[in-house]
Amino acid sequence: MDINVVLSQIDSEIQNINSSEALEEFRLKYLGRKGIVAELTSAIPSLSKEERAVFGQQVNSLKNKLLSIIAEKQKTLSASANKASVSFDIGMPGIAQEFGHLHPLTQITEEICSIFSRMGFSVVDGPEIETEYNNFTGLNIPLEHPSREAFDTFYLKDYSKMLLRSHTSPVQVRVMKDKKPPLAIVVPGRVYRPDAVDASHSFMFHQVEGFMVGKDIKFSDLKGLLEIFAKAIFGNDIKMRFRPHFFPFTEPSAEVDISCIICKGKGCSACGRKGWLEILGSGMIHPNVFKQVGIDPKKYTGFAFGMGVDRIAMLKYGINDIRLFFENDLRFLRQF
Amino acid sequence: MKVTYNWLKDFVDIKIPARELADKLTMAGLEVVSLEEKAGDFVFEIEITSNRPDWLSILGVAREVSAITNSKLKNQDLKLKGKTTKGDFKIEIEDKTDCSLYSARIIKNLKVAPSPEWIRKRLELVGCRSVNNVVDITNYVLFELGEPLHAFDLDKLNSEKIIVRRGKSGEKISTIDGTESNLSKDVLVIADKDKAVAVAGVMGGKDTEVSFATKNILLEAALFNPIIIRRSRQAIGKASESSYRFERGIDLDMVARASLRAAQLLEEYCGAEEVSFNLSGLNKSKETKIDLDITYASKILGINLAVVKVKQILIGLGFKTKQKSKNILSVGVPSFRQDVKQPVDLVEEAARIFGFERISNSVPSVKSDVTLNMQRSLVSDIKNMLVGLGLSEAITYSLIDRPGLTNSGFEFGVNPVGIMNPLSQDQEILRPTLLLGLGRAISFNLNQKQEFISLFEIANIFKAGTGPQEELSLGIVLSGVKPFFTASGLVKDEVNLLNIKGILETIFKRLGVTDYEFVSQAANFVDIYIQKEKIGSMLCLDQQALNSLGIKNKDVFLCELSLDKFFHFVQLNKKFAPLPKYPGITRDISFILKDGFSVKDILILLKEKGQPFLREVKVTDYYKGKQIPSGWRGLTLSCLYASGERTLTEKEIQPAHDLLCASLTQQFEAKLR
Repeated sequence: MDINVVLSQIDSEIQNINSSEALEEFRLKYLGRKGIVAELTSAIPSLSKEERAVFGQQVNSLKNKLLSIIAEKQKTLSASANKASVSFDIGMPGIAQEFGHLHPLTQITEEICSIFSRMGFSVVDGPEIETEYNNFTGLNIPLEHPSREAFDTFYLKDYSKMLLRSHTSPVQVRVMKDKKPPLAIVVPGRVYRPDAVDASHSFMFHQVEGFMVGKDIKFSDLKGLLEIFAKAIFGNDIKMRFRPHFFPFTEPSAEVDISCIICKGKGCSACGRKGWLEILGSGMIHPNVFKQVGIDPKKYTGFAFGMGVDRIAMLKYGINDIRLFFENDLRFLRQF
Repeated sequence: MKVTYNWLKDFVDIKIPARELADKLTMAGLEVVSLEEKAGDFVFEIEITSNRPDWLSILGVAREVSAITNSKLKNQDLKLKGKTTKGDFKIEIEDKTDCSLYSARIIKNLKVAPSPEWIRKRLELVGCRSVNNVVDITNYVLFELGEPLHAFDLDKLNSEKIIVRRGKSGEKISTIDGTESNLSKDVLVIADKDKAVAVAGVMGGKDTEVSFATKNILLEAALFNPIIIRRSRQAIGKASESSYRFERGIDLDMVARASLRAAQLLEEYCGAEEVSFNLSGLNKSKETKIDLDITYASKILGINLAVVKVKQILIGLGFKTKQKSKNILSVGVPSFRQDVKQPVDLVEEAARIFGFERISNSVPSVKSDVTLNMQRSLVSDIKNMLVGLGLSEAITYSLIDRPGLTNSGFEFGVNPVGIMNPLSQDQEILRPTLLLGLGRAISFNLNQKQEFISLFEIANIFKAGTGPQEELSLGIVLSGVKPFFTASGLVKDEVNLLNIKGILETIFKRLGVTDYEFVSQAANFVDIYIQKEKIGSMLCLDQQALNSLGIKNKDVFLCELSLDKFFHFVQLNKKFAPLPKYPGITRDISFILKDGFSVKDILILLKEKGQPFLREVKVTDYYKGKQIPSGWRGLTLSCLYASGERTLTEKEIQPAHDLLCASLTQQFEAKLR
């Protein structure tokens, strides 16, 4: 094979190569194990001593030339490949499975329970269908008394003295009958009251109840713990106040207000110009409740508190109509 | 309830401005919900808790003001100019438990006229309409002292006797509001010898009403049982300032005082000549005594209370105290504080006036129970998985209407639990299924022009049995076309029951449940089993259901399963299986399959036939369309062969693979491609 023919041949061949596959084919043809260069090299031993030196040099330079033009071609090929990738646009939407959304009431319930869990409370559930005893009598709420009016209740047909719990407090009775102190429990759940539905009332809503029972539980503990809670959920800059109130199942009882998170206490429509927002009810568990569940009020004391999840969610997210929670409009749910 | 600043000043000197007083009252438990400056006075609107009927009067609030501001109550003495005689007017009380005290004051020769300006003004400020001087004075005393009074036109009473008795069935009364009410044995009435003249403690009768022609009156001041007043009020469907107070409880000792106060005003402003005063029943309350241990109070509150401080607070509130020992006070409870029954009630009084804000915060030490609430944790896991799979959480009402359930066909033969006192038909039963609420949520969102909707709810459903039962359930609903991006562009996927199946399988696998089965019951109805126990169903809504939900031209896919049942099968303990030592060989089979054959049956058969080397067989592709004859679908199965002892050779598995292919063609009429 004439080495000069090969040299002229490679120049024209390399120009027609447009892909890396073709370039690889070209490389194999000349530099492969059974390629032309190998073929030429194998002829060397049969040459005379003088011829060998000249031919050997020629083959060597052919080999070098091939290596350099292949490298050069590789560069231009990959450059043009890069040019093609300019059409990739990172501005296009990313590709991923889109997440759904947890209901805002679930998110707030979890947030509340998680704060108390971090303080050592256990989360307990209770049934929505309750006995009249657990919902009222066990909680020191007399049956025919005006204090019942705050707890208007749906009763079941066909089952005497069974009702839909009007608060989560009956779980207090259940747990305290079942377990020995010390206790630190939170109870989230759905509750029901026959209220006509409007922007701020619903016949179904959500509460989180909490209570703690032990040998040395004090009103000051209730204050301390609820302040930690309120700051965790509404932010460190809120102010708080405990206002004496009445609940049949606690004594002393207090309603807890926080400074209005919208007007910062100046007074606005959200807080009824008061500058304060009521967020929960609380108090020291009434000795009568302890007696009902068989805990000795001389040995143990405890506190209890309860809050409306829907109301807290409305305050936190700035939702002005409670009905939005139960419409399940995706345009609403997707905001959370 | 409303009180005014100036009226309070009749009973206590107030040296702080109205605004400051309002704040102090609020922080003592009398929440002032509004404060208004009006006609040279300030009107406080106070929310009174149901345990404090004594605050339902000017005097009661004034007493609180005196305790808060540390100034004494004044103007407590009452005297009449004229002479009081004990008359011979008879009072007959049928049952002393209904009415423990009744007083009748006969007042003659009074002149009924419009009230003096100052009485009218005060009544208006507290929200009471002026009628005439006699009626206004009874109302004035009601607001001032909290004891409801009633004046009868004496000349219209048909006897020299007042009877307190229960109503009779068939008996009727026309009341001063101009309506007629039916009486019954649940209603307590005041009667003369012929007829009922008032619904006791609730409202007076029209016939004996005081008018401008009235000359002589019988002034009633009494104490009625709160429960009978509550029942009377409910029975006749009318409430009044009187019934509100009687239901909460009246101070026995206030009865005679209120009557005297009214007589004094009638004497002064109506020219009345008092004739006689008659009283029947208990005339003096019994004082209760409670021992209060100050160390107990301090322990509950978490502060160190000084005995003198507690003593001072209690005396200010009208209690009597006697020091029994160093830390124990014997406390006499006044008759107006029927709510105070045990030491802890006194602790609240001390704390309230001392100021909750002065009790500094502490943090309790918690002995925490670290047991996991398994159900709660699983519910939370499942919710998060569903959200990860693109579903959003719905919360729908537990109370629903029966027609909606029947019309949509979601009854499934379950007997729902009824509600005795629903506000409307929309809340007449407890839902036995989540599907109706979710179906309605779909309908609502389709109306908002949502192209793709995927929702779930985890909540209780209810069924009537020997007792009412509640069961935690998961409901899922999908409808529409799900759009998603791939590298080669947008894909729009019309969802169907397989999407729900996929969602459930993801959850099952994640929670270690493997032995599940989806069994078709009908074309669009699939039951879900785990270890042969039915835990739920999934379905495509039929036309009837779609119509009842108002859904047009859309398919809706739902499922409901019992989480209470499902949780029994959850297996969270994981066990490591050694990794294969020898690589396996994967062989694919592509074929077309006639509709009507189930892939599930094929997989079961192949697994059996492929023993001992077939480790896994799964669908890796399926296709319906152009290159496939109609009524058929293209499928690719991937079969993994492996051995735990050695590396298999192609030659070794060939017979096994051929057998699978042959089974496909012979038993399922598949055509290999």
